[in-house]
This record gives sequence, structure tokens and C-alpha cells, in this order.
Amino acid sequence: MKKLSAMVLATALATPVVATAADSEDPIIIPIHNWSSQIVMSHVVGQMYEEMGLNVEFVTTDSQAVYESVRLGDVALELEVWEGAFGHSFREALSKGGLHDAGDHDAVTREDWWYPMWTKDACPGLPNWQALNDCAEIFATAESGGKGRYLDGPVDWLKHGKERVEALGMNFVVVNAGSAAALWAEIGAAEPDMRPVVVFNWTPNFAEAVWPGEFVEFPTWEDGCDSDPAKGPNPDALYDCGNPADGYLKKAAWDGMPDKWPSAYCVLTKLSFTNPQIAEMAKFVDIDELEPEEAADEWLAANRDIVDPWIGSCT
Amino acid sequence: MDSDTPVISAENVWKLFGPSPEAYLSRMPAGRSFEEIRSDGYIAGVKDVSLEVAKGEMLVIMGLSGSGKSTLVRCFSRLHDITGGAVRIDGQDIMSLNATELIELRRSKMGMVFQSFGLLPHRTVLENVAFPLEMRGQDRHARRERALEMVRLVGLEGREDYFPRELSGGQQQRVGIARSLAIEPNIWFLDEPFSALDPLIRREMQDEFLRLQDMLGKTIVFITHDFDEALRLADRIAIMKDGAVEQVDTPDKIVLDPATEYVAKFTEEVDKASVVHASVLASDGVPVDGEPVPGDATILSLARRLVEDRSDAIPVSLPDGRTGAMDRKAALAVLFGERE
Amino acid sequence: MSDSTYVGATRQGAEAASVGAIRTRTVVLTLFGAAILLAVLKPWIPSALVRLPEGAILPWADWLDAGFSWLQNDIGLIHVTRTISGWLGFLTDAAANVLYGKARWPRLEALPWSVVAACSAVLGYWLGGWRLALLAGGTFVWTALMGQWRWAMETLSVIAVAVPFGFGIGLLLGMLAWKSRRFEEALRPVLLVLQTLPFYSYLLPAVIFFKVGPTAASVATIVYSMPPMILMTIVGLRKVPPDVVEAGRMSGCTRWQMLRHVFLPSARNEILVGLNQVIMLALAMVVLTAFIGMPGLGAKLLAMMNSFKLGRSFEIGVTIVLLAVTLDRLSKAWVVKQPEHFERGTPWWQRHAFLLLGIATFVLFYLLSQFLPILDEVGRRQSLSRGSEIDAIIKGALGISWVKATTEFIRWFFNIWVLIPTELALLFLPTFTVILAMTGIGYLLGGWFPALIGFLFFAAVAQLGWWDRAMLTLHSTLTAVLLAMLFGMPLAIWAARRARASRWMIFACDTAQTFPSFIYLLPAIMLFGITPITVILAILIYTMVPVVRYTVEGLRGVPREITEAADMAGATRWQKLWKVEFPLAMPTIAVGLNQAFIFAFFMVIIAAFIGTRDLGQEMQRTLAGTDLGKNFTLGFSVVFMALSLDIAINSWARKRREILGQ
Repeated sequence: MKKLSAMVLATALATPVVATAADSEDPIIIPIHNWSSQIVMSHVVGQMYEEMGLNVEFVTTDSQAVYESVRLGDVALELEVWEGAFGHSFREALSKGGLHDAGDHDAVTREDWWYPMWTKDACPGLPNWQALNDCAEIFATAESGGKGRYLDGPVDWLKHGKERVEALGMNFVVVNAGSAAALWAEIGAAEPDMRPVVVFNWTPNFAEAVWPGEFVEFPTWEDGCDSDPAKGPNPDALYDCGNPADGYLKKAAWDGMPDKWPSAYCVLTKLSFTNPQIAEMAKFVDIDELEPEEAADEWLAANRDIVDPWIGSCT
Repeated sequence: MDSDTPVISAENVWKLFGPSPEAYLSRMPAGRSFEEIRSDGYIAGVKDVSLEVAKGEMLVIMGLSGSGKSTLVRCFSRLHDITGGAVRIDGQDIMSLNATELIELRRSKMGMVFQSFGLLPHRTVLENVAFPLEMRGQDRHARRERALEMVRLVGLEGREDYFPRELSGGQQQRVGIARSLAIEPNIWFLDEPFSALDPLIRREMQDEFLRLQDMLGKTIVFITHDFDEALRLADRIAIMKDGAVEQVDTPDKIVLDPATEYVAKFTEEVDKASVVHASVLASDGVPVDGEPVPGDATILSLARRLVEDRSDAIPVSLPDGRTGAMDRKAALAVLFGERE
Repeated sequence: MSDSTYVGATRQGAEAASVGAIRTRTVVLTLFGAAILLAVLKPWIPSALVRLPEGAILPWADWLDAGFSWLQNDIGLIHVTRTISGWLGFLTDAAANVLYGKARWPRLEALPWSVVAACSAVLGYWLGGWRLALLAGGTFVWTALMGQWRWAMETLSVIAVAVPFGFGIGLLLGMLAWKSRRFEEALRPVLLVLQTLPFYSYLLPAVIFFKVGPTAASVATIVYSMPPMILMTIVGLRKVPPDVVEAGRMSGCTRWQMLRHVFLPSARNEILVGLNQVIMLALAMVVLTAFIGMPGLGAKLLAMMNSFKLGRSFEIGVTIVLLAVTLDRLSKAWVVKQPEHFERGTPWWQRHAFLLLGIATFVLFYLLSQFLPILDEVGRRQSLSRGSEIDAIIKGALGISWVKATTEFIRWFFNIWVLIPTELALLFLPTFTVILAMTGIGYLLGGWFPALIGFLFFAAVAQLGWWDRAMLTLHSTLTAVLLAMLFGMPLAIWAARRARASRWMIFACDTAQTFPSFIYLLPAIMLFGITPITVILAILIYTMVPVVRYTVEGLRGVPREITEAADMAGATRWQKLWKVEFPLAMPTIAVGLNQAFIFAFFMVIIAAFIGTRDLGQEMQRTLAGTDLGKNFTLGFSVVFMALSLDIAINSWARKRREILGQ
């Protein structure tokens, strides 16, 4: 009964808005992946759409395969296109056609070698990479044969850790984790006895809140460092720089979206989140243990002044 | 239909198992033995069998396991397609029937009882009995009536809603019998119906069966590997070995005059006096004095008279009303199991 | 046959057997000798024998891609599959509406959780008494109280569609295979491939042809869960007693009536066992299908793991296991449930007591939940989930010093002294050494046919171009199976002597199979790092289960008279075990080993989650894109290795069975 009344109420509220929009009544399918900020952001945007009287549905997908789905129109959009992690898949899908760039967020992204704060106690020269190399042996494991061990992201993230170690002549072996979870397990295992570790990590990310830490400072990224050996300190090697410290965070949209859901598409191009906002969304779920839907509620309630103009300018 | 037409007639029936039996049979030299056929890669399930069953007659097919008796009865009902020869039911060659006609024949004329009962485990007693009626599309009410009648006939009233697994072996076979009778068949096939039962129950079921047969008067083909059972029930017995029929005759004749060595082996252990009837030993037309004994009396039941009566011949009243004479010495020889 | 010919035949047989044994030994020694020779002479032999040269490897992936693209676009298969996925989507949506109120046809309100829980308890009571009622009701109460209701219903909405399809299609194919020998002969190899194809190879085509999300997930689940249904249908229909068949024919059944009224009802038990298998396999896939958009528990589990919430992921794992155990028990109870008769004159309400009870429960709880919101929906804040506490406990337990010391030692010992050296050794071996060795093993176990298969299939693996990765996969599976034997066999032998322990062991095996191993991956990584031993541990459970189960069943299946005869002959316990029980149980145990291999190959995917350099890792990579061709060359590398072992072990088991007259 309470549900029934809620439904009536929702319909009553929704109807007038629908009348103003020419958007299709088909649900807008929004993909969600397996990290919190993206899930919450998707729900925030989804709830904005629902306020506009649109139908929204969420589908869990692989974060690389999703570009193929956007291209085919199986899902309508993608809210977090990370330059480092997904730039490759995104560009590939872009060249095949069917999806397009729907603008950048304000947020910048960074992905690189990273260590939790306690590591600095054992290797005080950090975050400099040469200092890291000098204390390589404290990162040694039973299997690394005396060299330091760097735990890189999954191979399919194409992080080129091995190439960098070679290019910079570092005393490290590179092991690829199979998943993000495996990275966390490694940090979590090191935590109780403050064992020094250096792993692949990125920002914005919930891990920053759980384990404070820093990125290792490698030679600064220059454009072409991954295609022109001359760039970077080693004249004969690629990948002899750190990753860009301010990578983009884009939105992507299916080519059919502007026609099918014009006002939703308009909102998508307008909206933009910042690093602190994204971190806050993640925190609701990762630290406060809210469900993504509830987290989106809370975030929206606290940030009406930010989202209302986006909706207002499009309806 | 002519009343003289046999209900079942088999004419040189062959059933071979193997890769291409028809082709083999057509080029096979005549008179090839079972072993020779086997060395050619074929098994002769039924080997050149010819016999007839008259209306209302009970033919018992007797043989050891693997002798082909089950195969033969399946040729009569065309559960097996025969390789050569012809099987006629009421004069109709059943190999010429198409699938629909065959189903119609089974739905209207044939009933069969199986050694391990062949009951459908998911159906109740009543539903099992009604199964053939349901298959031929009889309406629910009519088939229920008929099935209840059958259940009563075999003495299972009160257990209509039981499932087969809740019944004893004997009771399960009663269900099998009731099912086979549900469509009121003219021809009743029973494939070792009592072999799976223990001896006491078997005896009881045989009595029950004889009672039913008295009442219903069906044409029956009954299969058994038990010679005593065959003698007890049969009008005529067909003894089979290696797919072929060794001898078809009345029990008396088989006991008194086994056609082959193989048949003789079976008769050796039998108490002939309890099988042979007076009429068989009687010769026609010789007038003899004294009170005639009934023709259907066994020699054993006449033992006292045979021993006490001093005359050479004893009068016997024959089934056709005439009186015959039985040689007392011959009868005594049967009584004491002496060989002629 | 007369006695003398019989004796003659046996003597002949014995002579043939000893001649055969000598020939086997010569062939096997030659093959192994050549294999070893190649390895020893590695520096001097032509490099083409060490590794197939790049030029000799054909572009299989490109060809496959071209083939797929032809199927997909030129033939227009994708339109067909997308239409099908439209229907499937409609069905999963409808199920989702009924279960959790997704806004789709028939647009009902979500069922209150208490209604579902109470009605499953009634169903459990009807099928198996109060214990089953408690299990069924308890599972759903737990799910609701843990705040996982919505996810569980999302999962079930897909399973509720996938299972009937898996059952129906499996039944249909089973009936066709039973009717037509030729169809069965064509179907068997397909089933074998389906059962050994790693799950990653199901995922990509499912996504491409059936659209990411619940539809692709249900298609992958249907395809994966179907084979046992087909096999059980064939077995069941074949087993219908000839008497019953003939009784049906003599009752004048048409062909359709035979099937409908005689064959299918008589094969009921096997068909229901098949259904049980379909359900279990569908549940086993809950987490893996999350990779291609299956919503619900699996997706949540992965999300929890990616934000390092051990406790919450553990709770979800428990729910998955509980659901699996409940559905397993319910369906098994249904298998053994026989119809019961009522005495005449039983009133109708007594005949349908359970149905009425079910309806009453439904109505009661539906009304109650309208007034007591907690019976309708348990909010996140009301739930009893104790994620962070469990996190603390797990982390605390992993931090205990002796635990750390022990695991450090295990890690060091296995990695440094066992796994890394054997891995390097396998990688060192020339390709042709491995091919010859596999041929030899095939010959040793089963004769010419398995030998030929071993040769051809391993040559095919080399030809597919992923040799080194294939060897790493082979290494992981071999080690996992060996370790499973090392630990599992003693356990099984111990249990097999005790009826109770055996029952528990089999129960544990059933449960372990449904346990999503993802849950213990994180603790395993924390203890053993991202190293080979963790990979082995991840698949060990899947190899232990069949080894333990079949060893227990094999040993317990030894006829009593035979063990009693051994006792009377004065055999000690060990003598009895080694000389009597083991030889007789060996064919069964071999089947278990075979399954262990197949599971291990299938589960290489899980190891990729930890981080490996084998085929699984490359396959995980293909998931991100649309490289169907590459995905399948990798998948078939696994299939070829798994099948050649499967064929060899099975033909050995069959031969043993024949010798033992089983």
C-alpha cells in the first residue's frame, strides 16, 4: 500500500516534466563497473535523469568491453573514461565508429607506481625514483631473487612497468597482479607489520582514504615518451618517463543518444565532476558502507546547487 | 471370419538377429543349423517355426532361457518384425499392416502380460489398468468403470490408488493381468508371467489364472521355462530349442511319446501317471464290460481300479460319448513309470 | 562353447595379453626415450623441434575472426541472436519484475521477502520435512537480514530463466540423441568440447552475439549447464526396462504416446537428476558471469572485492552457498519424492493440504508485510551485515605470527623448491619432447587411439601458437591435481572406512563445488602473495572435490563379499587396501582424476584473477576487446590439452572395467 501511494506520487511528479521533453521513454542504459566512484556517479546521473522523467536502467559490464557496448548502443553512455586505463579501448572504439567523446570532467587522473606512507619510513628518499631504486632490496620477496619487486596492474591495463624498469635500469622485477583486488590484498597483507611495498595505483580512488600514500616521482612525462625513444632520460628506450600526472577523465556517448534522448544527452555534455567530488562519492560507499543508491541520494541532496543548473539548462 | 480359421498361424517364421538378416536369409542354404548360422554372424531367434493356435485354445511354449520362446511370442504380436515366413492373426498377415493398423490391432485384439510386470511406476493401480483404454482414447468415465471391474476381477479391490512399488510381486502381476484384459482382447499373450514370483505365490496365481481362463475362454499363448507349469496349464505344448520347435502336442502325448531326445530329457523326471489321461490310452470301438472310467481322469487317479481290476482292458468313456478300451498293462506301466 | 574351447580361448587370450604387454613396453619406451633424447640434445637439435618457428604457425586467430565476422555480419547471425536475446531479455525482465519489482511487464509489485521465505519453507516441508523447511526458509531469511535481498533476487531472476531453458533444450537434445545414433555420435564430441572449453571462451561470444547483461549471462549459463542434462536424459531413456516399453507398445501406444506416457515418466528420476545438475552448474556460474554483466550477488561480490571488503564478500559467498545447497536439496528431495496415495474418501482439503498451506502462507505474509515494513523489505541500515567486523577478524587472523610463519614457510618451500623449478623445467623442454611424452602416456594408458589423439592434440596446441603459456597452464593443472591426490586421497581413504564420515565428506564436496573460490582468493593472496602457490591453491579446491568424492565412492563401492573374502584370507588392513580395494576402485578413482583435470583446466580463468602468465591471463585480456579469434585459439589450446588427457584416462578406466568385469 505504501508502495502503491509512492508510485502514484512518483507518476504525478514525473508527468509534467515528461511533457516538456522529447526524449524517448525507452530506458537509458547506464553501465556500471566494479569500482565505487563510477558506480555512485552513474547512480547520481541516473537519479538526475529520473528526476527529468526519464527511465533509467543500470547494467554491470566489464570496464574495457563497455566501449564495444556503447558503440553498438547496448548501453547509452560511459561516465568515467580514464585516459591511462581505458584510453586505448576508447580510441579503438572511436575509430570503429558508433560512439563519441562527450566532454571532459574537471577531475584529472593519475596512475603510476605508488607506495603506502609506512614505506617511506624504511626508504626515506621517497618519492624520488632513484631513491626507490637505491632501497630496492627492502622490496625483495622470496621469489624475486634479491631484487625489489614492483606489483604492476593487470597486463590488460597495459602499464608497461617492465619496460620502464629496463629503460631506467632499475633493480626491480615486475609482477602483474590479475585484478585490482589482488593489488589491495597485497597492500592489506603488508599493512599489519608495515612491510614496505610498491604497487600500481591511481587517483581518484578509495584506497587513498584507506591507506594514505604517495606516487613515486619518475622523470616527468613528455608527449611521445611511449613512441619516441629520444624523449625522456634514456635516449634509446621508450617508457622512460612517469605517466602523465594529469590524465583526462572523459565521458563517452553512443552516437544515437543525442537523437533519442536529447535532453539527457544535453545534461551529459554539461555535467562535470571534480576530484574531491568523486572522492566523496567513493567515500560514501567504501568508508561509510552505504549502498550506491543511498550514496547517490546523499550526494545529490548535499549538492543540489551543482546539479540543478545542469538540469535547468537542458529542460 | 470362418470359425475354422486358426486365430494365430505361423508359417515358416524366421527371426534372425545380425547386420542384415533379410539378405542373409534369402541366400542362406536350406537346413543350416543354429551353430552354423551363428558362425555366419547371426543369431537365429526363431528358426523356421510353423504352428497354429485355435480359438479358445491355450498353447504353452516351453523352453529354457535363450531357446527363442519369448522371441516367438513377440513375432506373434509384431513387437519383433519377422525376417521370413508369415504370421497371421485371424487370417490377416500382420507384416502387411501399417503402423496405424498395427496399433489398432493391439488396441482391440491383443493383451500381454510380462515377466517383470512392466507396470508404469508413476501411475496408480487403477491408472495402470486403464492405460490401454486411455491410449485408445476411451472417455474418462468409461475407462474408470472398466478398470474398476478388472481390478475387482483380479481381486485387488481397495488398492486402486496404490502405486506399483507399494504392492507385492504377486499383486503387481495381478495388475499386469488386469491391464492386459482391460481392452477385452481375443488373444492373450503371457510371457513367463509367474517366473518372478516365489513358488507358493506362483501356485496360487496359476489357480487364479485357470479360474480366469474358465470364465473368459481366451485364445492364449503362454510362455514358461517350467515344464510342470506347462503340463498343468496347457491344452497343447510347444517345446523349443535353439529357436526351433522340437515338438507341439498335448501334454499326454509329449509325456508318452517324446519326439526327440531333448524332449525326452524333460519328461524323464515327470510323474507321468499324474499327467496322462485315460482317454489317451483308450483304443476305440472294442467293447469291454464294466463301469467305464471318465476319459479326463488321470492314470494316477485310477490307480486303485487299475490294481484291483483284473481284466485286460478297462472301459473308458470318451469325450465324444463313445466308449473305448484301455489296456490295463499299458496303464500300469504308466502308473509305475516303466519304460515301454 | 564346450569346456575345451573355452580353455583354449583363455590360453590364447593370455598369450595375446603378454605379447601385447611386451609391445606396449617397447612402444612406450621408444616414445619416452625419443622424448628424453630430444631434451638432452636440446642445444644441438634443429630449433624447429624446440619451438615451432613463427612462420610455421598459421594465423588461426585471423581466420577465426574472419569466420566469426562472416557468421555475424554476412550471414546475419547476429540479427537472429539479437532477436533471441530480445526474447530472453523479456523473460529475465518479467522474472525480475516478479522477484524484485523491476519496472517491466507484468509490472507487479515486488514480492515481500517474507512471502518468498515462508513459501519456500512450505515447499521444503512438503518435499523433505521440517529440516528442509528450515534450510529453505532460513536461507531466504538470512539473505534478507544480511541486506542482500535485492542482489539475490537479481541473481535468481536470471537463473529462473536460464534453468528452464537449460533443462528444456537439454531434454530435447537428449531425446534426439536417444532416438538417433548418428545425432548422438555428432553430439558427443561437441559436449566434450563444451565441458572443457574454459569459461572465458563462453563469455566473449555470448557478449557479442547476445548483448552484454543478463541475456549474455543467461546464454552462457544455459550453454554451460546443459551437457549433464543431455547425458542424464540419454541415460534415463536408455534405462527404461524393456518390459515397460513392450507393455506400452502392446497397449497400443502411438510414438508420441510412448514418449509422453511411457518413456519420459519412467526416466523421471534421471531427468530430475539432470535438472539438479543444471541448477547447480547455473549457480556455480553466478560469479563468473558477473564479468559479462550478470547483475546480482556475483557482481556485488566482485565489487566488494575490488574495494577490499573481505567481510562483505564473505557474506555474499555464504549466501551463494546457502542458495546452492537449498536448491540442491530441494531438487534432490523432489527426485526421491514418490507419489503417495490417499485412502478412499479423503476430503479434498486433505489431499491438497500443502497447496492450501502454501496459499494461506502467501496471503498471510503478504498481508502482514503491508503493515510490518520490516517483513517487506530490510533496509541497508536495518540489516545484520557485519562486514567490517569480519574484515577485522580475517585481517587479525592473517596477522597472527604463527600463521604468518607457517604460510611464509609454505610459500617459500613450494615456490622456490617445487613450483618455480618444475615450471622452468616444463618451459625448458622442447615442444617435441612434450608431444612425444604425451603420445607415450596416451599409448601407455589406452593404446593407439589415445596415443594418436595425444600426438595430434598437442601438436595442435603447438600450432595454435601459445605454447609457453599452454605449458604454464599445464603446469598449474598437473600440480593442482597431484597435490589434490596427495592431500585428498588419504582423506578419502580415512573417510571411506566410516559411513558417517563418508556421508559428510560427500556433502562437503557438494558444497565446496558451489563455493565461489573468489572469496578466499584475497586471503590467499594476502598469505601467499601473487606467486605460483596461490594460483595452485585457487584451483586446488576444484581438483580436491572430484578426487575425494570418487575415491570415497570407489572404495565404498567395493562389494562386501570381496572385502570379507580378503579378511578371511588373513589380509591386514594395508594389504586389503592395496591388494583388494584399490585395484577394484581404480576405474572409479580414474574417473575422479579425469574430472579433476577437466575442472582444473576449466578454472585457469580464476588464476588469471590473481595474476599469472598463462593462457588464462591472455584470455582475460581478450575479454576487454572483441578478439573472438584470439579468444578461441586460446580456448582451444586448453580444450586440446584437456581432451587428450580425458581420452587417455577414460580409455584406461574403460579397459580396467572390462578386465574387472564391472
